[in-house]
Parts: sequence; structure tokens; C-alpha cells
Amino acid sequence: MLGLDSAGKTTILYKLKLNQIKTTGPTVGFNVETFQYKNIRFNMWDVGGQDRLRPLWRHYYPKTNALIYVIDSCDTKRLEESKQHLYKILKELDNIDTAKDYLLLIFANKQDLTNSMSPKEINDYLDLKNNLRKNQLFAVIGANALTGQGLIEGLSWISNNFKPVQ
Amino acid sequence: MLSTPLDNQRHFKHRACRITLGEPDLGLNLAVADYINEKQGGSPREAAIVVVNLINSPDSHVAVFALNLLDVLVKNCGYPFHLQISRKEFLNELVKRFPERPPARYSRTQRLILTAIEEWNQTICKTSKYKEDLGFIRDMHRLLTYKGYIFPEIKQEDLSVLNPSDNLKSLSEIQKEEGLAQAAKLQELVRRGRPSDLKEANKLMKIMAGFKDDNLVESKAKVAEDLDKLKRKADIFSEMLQASERSGTLDTSDETLVELYSSLKVAQPKIQNLITEESDDEVAVQDLLKINDIVNSLVEKYNFLKNGELESASKVQVANSGSGVKESLNLIDFDDEATSGAPESSGNAVEDLLSDLGGLSFSNNNDPFGAGGEISLLGSPQATGSHKTQDSSTSPNYDIFNQLSNSGTPTPTPASTTTTVQSGSAFDLLGGAFSTSSPQPVQQFHEPAPKTSRSFINESQHLKTEIEVHRETQDTVKAIVYFSNIQSSSISNLQFLIAVPKSLTLNLEPQTGSFIASFSKDAVHQAFKITHPTNNSQLKIKWKVNYVVNGQDVEETNTYTLPHV
Repeated sequence: MLGLDSAGKTTILYKLKLNQIKTTGPTVGFNVETFQYKNIRFNMWDVGGQDRLRPLWRHYYPKTNALIYVIDSCDTKRLEESKQHLYKILKELDNIDTAKDYLLLIFANKQDLTNSMSPKEINDYLDLKNNLRKNQLFAVIGANALTGQGLIEGLSWISNNFKPVQ
Repeated sequence: MLSTPLDNQRHFKHRACRITLGEPDLGLNLAVADYINEKQGGSPREAAIVVVNLINSPDSHVAVFALNLLDVLVKNCGYPFHLQISRKEFLNELVKRFPERPPARYSRTQRLILTAIEEWNQTICKTSKYKEDLGFIRDMHRLLTYKGYIFPEIKQEDLSVLNPSDNLKSLSEIQKEEGLAQAAKLQELVRRGRPSDLKEANKLMKIMAGFKDDNLVESKAKVAEDLDKLKRKADIFSEMLQASERSGTLDTSDETLVELYSSLKVAQPKIQNLITEESDDEVAVQDLLKINDIVNSLVEKYNFLKNGELESASKVQVANSGSGVKESLNLIDFDDEATSGAPESSGNAVEDLLSDLGGLSFSNNNDPFGAGGEISLLGSPQATGSHKTQDSSTSPNYDIFNQLSNSGTPTPTPASTTTTVQSGSAFDLLGGAFSTSSPQPVQQFHEPAPKTSRSFINESQHLKTEIEVHRETQDTVKAIVYFSNIQSSSISNLQFLIAVPKSLTLNLEPQTGSFIASFSKDAVHQAFKITHPTNNSQLKIKWKVNYVVNGQDVEETNTYTLPHV
């Protein structure tokens, strides 16, 4: 799970793991938790998003089955920056032999705030459809980490589309 | 070349095919190494796995070639690859075909594997900066030895490849190397994923992201250390050149000389790099420029001598690189000392006279004299402001006096010290003894001793280090450190360094000199101020002193808590 700082990654992680809102400061380093959802055991890594940590994201790429990219839907100023980083990650992931056929899930987080962009607007802005490999599966789902809205939907999407490696 | 991302596996298989065909191909092996170095990430790990599988191939031809490749990778891919060969799984695979008991005769493959492990054990396990990460290699070595396997002897030149080179590296080079090593380690920790690994990974991430700057501090320390080594080399080289200048011939077959020359030569561009890197630190740049000049002129001189141009060679002046201490200060402050103490030979006439005098007056009055001198005389003039008005001409007399008290008598015991201070007659006696030679200090003697205490920091077989501390304001403490030479050889290149905890501010004044003649007392001193926010905190310093005595570098270091004042 990656994304710019203060997008809500850590909050999502602990909402899923503990069903609690953990008030967290910026993650310096990473968090990792495992939990079961339906037939799938998730081993979810939440890596800090501050700009100094971003160059280190690549060390977490190997063996990626799904990339969850979290975007702050209100932070329109940094939406372009977020998009740039997403494309950078996707390009780098292509070079990792052990991260083949990963699923791409985008959480358009903070949907509870009134000035947030809708998942559709975010989807249009990212323009993934025209920029991904043909067979790359992806989904943009609106979320509110505080209530948990959208999170289960996202996990369902992953579990429905995940094909275990033979 | 080889830049298509997904063909890593294919590339190695391709390599494997070649193995069955031809001879070990160093060029191709190096290409594999380059490829791994460029790609990093998971590639060292993948390579290690492929290679060890090939080593276990039933075809011994393939195994030998794979071992050849392994050797090249270990020697060219650095820590990221070392980390992989030190994994338990890898090592277990490597010796998979070793029987429980050693066979009567080792196969060629076995011999090569034993050679490799022995080589690693003697080099990277001992000398790598990250040797603590390579523990399993040592363990495997121990296990094999225990089982009765005998390791072949390794040629010295094979070992030297894997040991870190002595060459000067610039800050950015060190950091780049460090960055690569850290990246490799982080990735490995994340991959292993055990709780302890993850904890370490988190810590490492903080360091890598620059939230902790240990890194930079460490790299800088490394640069400083390397520069120090270079200075020493330059000094030795300079001496050797002077010797050959005198004899008129340069022995170019002298290995040491040639080696020193080449390491200076290699250092030249690196110093240039360092100067650009450190351009915002003026002091560092000054120092670097000085080293640069020295190295340049030494190289020039060497070349003149080599071509037999003695005259041109003698024109090349080389400064002494040993210490960064400003010697000019020494001359200003300690004029008298310098003239009496500076000559290297201790058989100097003036000094002899002084020690004769010392013998006369001191031994008659017994120890108390020297003791009294130590307390009142040395404490007063510099340490307290109230005496600043005194006639400046008195200070040279002091110095002579110091010299007397020290060279004439053995250092008094503290017990006798107290008795002297209390007995007024002893003071008078002293005054009498001195009034004949120099009346001014006598005045000093009758003044009450100022309230500064001198404490003892350290005494080695060469150097005695003492400190005087007094409070200047509510939150400022002023201290002076005194250095005395307590043996018969002179001490040169003296350099004193202090560090204080971050909560305190340290203000250093220049050291008064860097040379101490034999048995001269308090010949060099260094004043400093410490400003501290709270009054009752204990003031702790860490100190280090470097000097050269009898041609040897000596370093003393420790921590010291300032007496409460």
C-alpha cells in the first residue's frame, strides 16, 4: 500500500486489521499487518509516504500481488504529484520479475469531506485506462477510512480477481 | 547491454549453456557482474541461487565454471552479493555434496568450494565494514573444520582483492557505497520478514531516509581518518625523498617508496573532489588545500629525483603535513620556551644550565618548592582576570621558572603539596631563593593564590595533561588545559580535541603550540569555554590528544568530568 504522505494509508491498515481508528502521526518507516478476508490472507505493507521515504518504496516491490495506491481526494493541489508517483511505481514494478500480474487498486480516500473529488473524477484524472498494459486489472474505489466505507469493497475486488500463482 | 528487464534468468541460463561449451570466460563473467551491479534489487539474490544450483550440477565441468563465476561475483559485486552468500540457505546449498566425514581425496569441486569459504573467512568476514552480517560464513567454516575438513592455503594476492582498499575516497563515493549496501540489506530484511528483521528494517529505513544522520557523521569520520592516513604517508614519503636527496640517488626498486608514490598519485584527484564537496567548510578546505599542495610537491619532487635532476628536486619545498595546528601562535606566546626548548637534542647548553640550577635550588629546599610552584604560580596568571594588569615582562620569567621546577625535581606528591601551602616560611624561602635571579616573580608569591584549582586529566608515559577550571559567569565555565612533557624525548605535532554533549556550547581558543621539548612543563596550553544552560549539571567532555614521540604516533583519549566550580 503506497501513496503520498497523509493520504490515509496507516489509518486504512489499522481500520482493516483492528476495526479501530488509530490516530497516527506520519509513518517513518513502514507498518505491516496480516489478516484474513474471505479466502485470502492479506499481508499488507504500509510504507511511509513522506518524500524522503519515497525512494525507498522500491525495496518493497518484490513479490507484490496487489498494489493499493491511496489518494487523498481533497488534496487537489498534489493530485498531479500523486499521479506522477503512481506512474513511476507502475513503471518500476514492470522491472521486477517477482511482481508479475499484480492487481492495482486505487482508494480515492477521504470521501467524507465535502470538497473531495469523486472516484470517477479521480479515475478520469489518472487516465489509467489509456496508459496501462492491456491485461492490467485495476479499480478506482471511493473510500472513507474513518467509517470503513469502501474498504471491504476494495478487498472484495482483490479477492475476486486474484489468481494464485501456479 | 543486457538492459531488457525480464531476461535475468535467461541470461544466466545462457551463461550455463556456455559453460558446458567452452573455457571459463572472464569477460562474460564480468559482464554478469556488471549486470548485477547495475540492476541491484533482487538480482544478487537470484544470481546467487542460480550459481549455487549450477555448482551442484552433476557435471563437474559446469560446477567448476560456476565456481569460477561465483568467485568473480564475490570479488566484483560487493556487499549486496556478500549478503547473499552469507545466507544460511546459500551456504547449506553450497556444501550440499559434502559427505558427513571428509573423503580421503577431495574432488576438484570440493577443493574449490573449500578454497572459496576459506578465502571469505579470511577476508570479508574480518575486514568488511559489515562483517557482523556475514556471521554464517564463519559458522560454516567452523562447522567444516569441526567435521574434519581441511582448508587449502590461500595466496596472499588472492586475499588482497577482497580486502578494502586503502585509497582515499571522497564523501560522495563513501555514501554511494553505503547507500548500495543499505538498500541491499533493507531489501533482504523485508524479504525475510521475521519480526526481528522487520524491526531492523524499520530502523534502517529511518537512517536511509535521513531521519538520522549517523550516516553522514560516520562517512565524514571515515574521510577524516583516510586523510589522516594520507598525511602520514606523505610524511614518510617526504622523509624517504629527503634521504635519497642527500644520497643523490633514488631507489625506484624500493617497493615502499613506489607504493607510497602511487597512493599519493591516486589521492590527487580525490582531494580535488573533496575540496569541491567541502566547499562550504572553510577550515576543511584550507586543510585540504594544504594537503593538496604537499602531495603535489612531493609527486613533483619524486619525478625530479627519478630523472636525476637533483637541483630541481631540492628547489621543491615541502611543508610539514603532520598537524593542522598553527605554529605561529607558538612563537608569539612562548618565545622564551621556544628558544630554550625547541632544538631536538636534549643536550642543549641552556637547558643543561637550567636543570643544573634546578638541581641546586630544589633539592636543597626539598620537594616543597616544586610543589609550591605548581600551585600558586601556574594557577595564577592566565586563569584569572585580576592578574592581567601585571607587567608583561614577568611572563618569560615564569616560563623559566616552570622549566626549573619541572626539570630539576621529580614531580612532588600531593601530600607534600598541602604542607607547603600552609607553611608561610616555605614561601619566604622560595622567594629568597628566587630573588637573586629574578625579583619579579617574588611579588607574585606573596599574593594570595587565586581561587582556581588545577586538576589532573591524564598522565601517560609521555604526556601529563592537567586542567584548570573557573566559573566566568552564571552559565559559563572557562578552562585551560596544560600539557607537560614528562620524559626525555620531545613531543611534536601535538593536537588536542574536545567534544561536549549537544546541550552545551563549546568555544575553543587556538592551542598555543604543538611542540613540547623534553621535560618541559605546561609548554602548551589550550583554553576553552563551555556554556551550559543549567547551573548544577555536571560538565562532561570527551577529549583526545594526538602527538608524535620518537617518530611514533600516539593517541590518548577518554572522557572527563569537570570539577564543580
